[in-house]
Amino acid sequence: MTIATLTKPWEAMSYGFLDASAKRELRRKMLKAIAVPGCQMPYASREVPMARGWGTGGLQVTLTLLRPSSVVKVIDQGADDSVNAASIRSFLSKVSGARETWDTLEATILQSRHRIPEERLRADQVLVLQVPNPEPLRPVEPNMSVARQMHADADYGRLWLILYEQIVRSGRVMQGAAYPSLVNGRHVMTPSPIPRWDVPKLHMAQHLTFLSAGREKRLYAVPPFTRVEPLVFSDVPFQVEDHAALTCHRSGLTGYFMNEIPQGDGGSQFELSDSNLGIKAIRQAEGADARIGPTWYENGKTS
Amino acid sequence: MAYVATRGGERAIEQSERLYRAELGQIDAARVAEIRHALPMLIDRVMGEASLYEPDLAALALAQAGGDLYEAVLLLRAWRTTQPRLTIAQPVLQDQLFTLRRISAAFKDIPGGQILGPSLDYAHRLLATGVLQGRPYVPAAVQPAATPAPARQPSLAAWQKAQGLVADPARADVAPDDIPDLTREPLLFPAARAHTLQSLARADTGGMLALGYSAMRGYGNAHPTVNELRLAEADVRVRHPGGTVFSAGRVKVSQAEVTSKGKSGLLELGFCATLGWNEVKVISGATLDLNAPGAAKGSPVEEEFFLYHTEPVEASGFCIHFKLPHYVTFQSSLDALRGAKAVPAPHEPEKVPA
Repeated sequence: MTIATLTKPWEAMSYGFLDASAKRELRRKMLKAIAVPGCQMPYASREVPMARGWGTGGLQVTLTLLRPSSVVKVIDQGADDSVNAASIRSFLSKVSGARETWDTLEATILQSRHRIPEERLRADQVLVLQVPNPEPLRPVEPNMSVARQMHADADYGRLWLILYEQIVRSGRVMQGAAYPSLVNGRHVMTPSPIPRWDVPKLHMAQHLTFLSAGREKRLYAVPPFTRVEPLVFSDVPFQVEDHAALTCHRSGLTGYFMNEIPQGDGGSQFELSDSNLGIKAIRQAEGADARIGPTWYENGKTS
Repeated sequence: MAYVATRGGERAIEQSERLYRAELGQIDAARVAEIRHALPMLIDRVMGEASLYEPDLAALALAQAGGDLYEAVLLLRAWRTTQPRLTIAQPVLQDQLFTLRRISAAFKDIPGGQILGPSLDYAHRLLATGVLQGRPYVPAAVQPAATPAPARQPSLAAWQKAQGLVADPARADVAPDDIPDLTREPLLFPAARAHTLQSLARADTGGMLALGYSAMRGYGNAHPTVNELRLAEADVRVRHPGGTVFSAGRVKVSQAEVTSKGKSGLLELGFCATLGWNEVKVISGATLDLNAPGAAKGSPVEEEFFLYHTEPVEASGFCIHFKLPHYVTFQSSLDALRGAKAVPAPHEPEKVPA
């Protein structure tokens, strides 16, 4: 036996950038997060070669999951070619050898900021959501030590109070994205700032979702077939954005979440937020072979 | 394909980065050496915030970032975190430090003496404009004292403890390998003492000054007196696998101990130390540490508040992330706003007769 047989040659960077000790810690915390759905697990959150707040939490989870055979899709606000998504995707493929894709159907790992794709995710796919603020109680309790205690006590009354006050003041719930939701009947989580439109996609889904906040050093998970219920009153139902009747002016698709593009004449045009779904629809219309999978919403309604 | 043509993010980000780097030009060993040589205080500050003592790498990071401190610290931290942790050095003791400067504001003179060492404290801050007119600034030669100051200095707090002036907290002996390491574990509250001191040591100098200054102005509970401020070099003593303890080299360190009279009738101490020489940082940090016990939740001198908000990589990263598109979340808020306008205003509550 020689030293050479026991060691590996020096390399500038570990596979998948993170070193083995960082990955081991992440795997442990990811398993814990799956075991207690919606509960925030603190983790060391190493520095990565990207600024905090730019998806470093999602990045660490994705780097831990990546294999050379992975196919990775990264979106920001629904778009694959958004600058930061492009930057993250090229980093992921560079350090892992994983293949890049824009197609939701093809991807094995999807890292996303602020959206869940419109095509249904399958059991063999993992969704990694980048989270700026993992704490649903932050608006009512900015102190993390106190908030942690409130989670332990399932003390969520003040979240309902906010919703109640919004209804009294404005006649409706005013919460935009990041709608607080009860996971598995126990922990309230913030589903990262995905629009309300995307929250039902997490409920009893086939796929595993990780939500990871690098700056705040917390990760949590929604395992497959887990209840995710937005906080509502029994007489005030949950309302997604009023986008069901909008039509994308590029692809012609109707009934999905849209970006509003203000026009010079004072009006607005709409385009699909899930940009690759739009591309596939345009290609189909041009007669190309582009498969669109089943979608969570059909004709603007969850199916 | 028309859908894509209006975007083109990947080419844009590449060219944007090139534009930035073109401004900085070629980076070579000479530039790095010049930065290291000319800007030792900046190198110290960056090494402290990166918690990585390597002046050449710090100079390289500054060169690569064009002097943007937050970028430089991130470069170093991201490099540091991938490096193996080979061993834990022996604890550095105050009276073993090779001390170059050590002063106390609490007493006119102290055992071991007030040693001014290198300082601009009493300099007149006059800009040497002559340099720009071709007259180089040549510093006057230092005239050594007849008897050199002792290289090692006792700790003032040790004298105060002997006098019964300072509370002597119970000593917790922790095996070196069991010292909690902030770079490998999350910061949780109430924080381990080691985590608090590590977090202060790598905190953002400017952020720490802002919060420390707020405490000094009156948002804290205690007014600090500088008990002892020390700039020194510390031997990094490590154990060879063969058992011998040897010095692997010296690092510059600074530490401050501030004090005020506590409710117990004894002096209370606040402490902060960091890699490199950075007096503003350690005095601010020690002031926050002094004020932390019993601070109200959410006050600037509460430990959770100041430790979270002086983390340079996290704070600067989050600040610049607001440049990222947020149109999905904005659309979601807009929808609620329009929905509320469409809903008739809720009924006025009935007036109860007086």
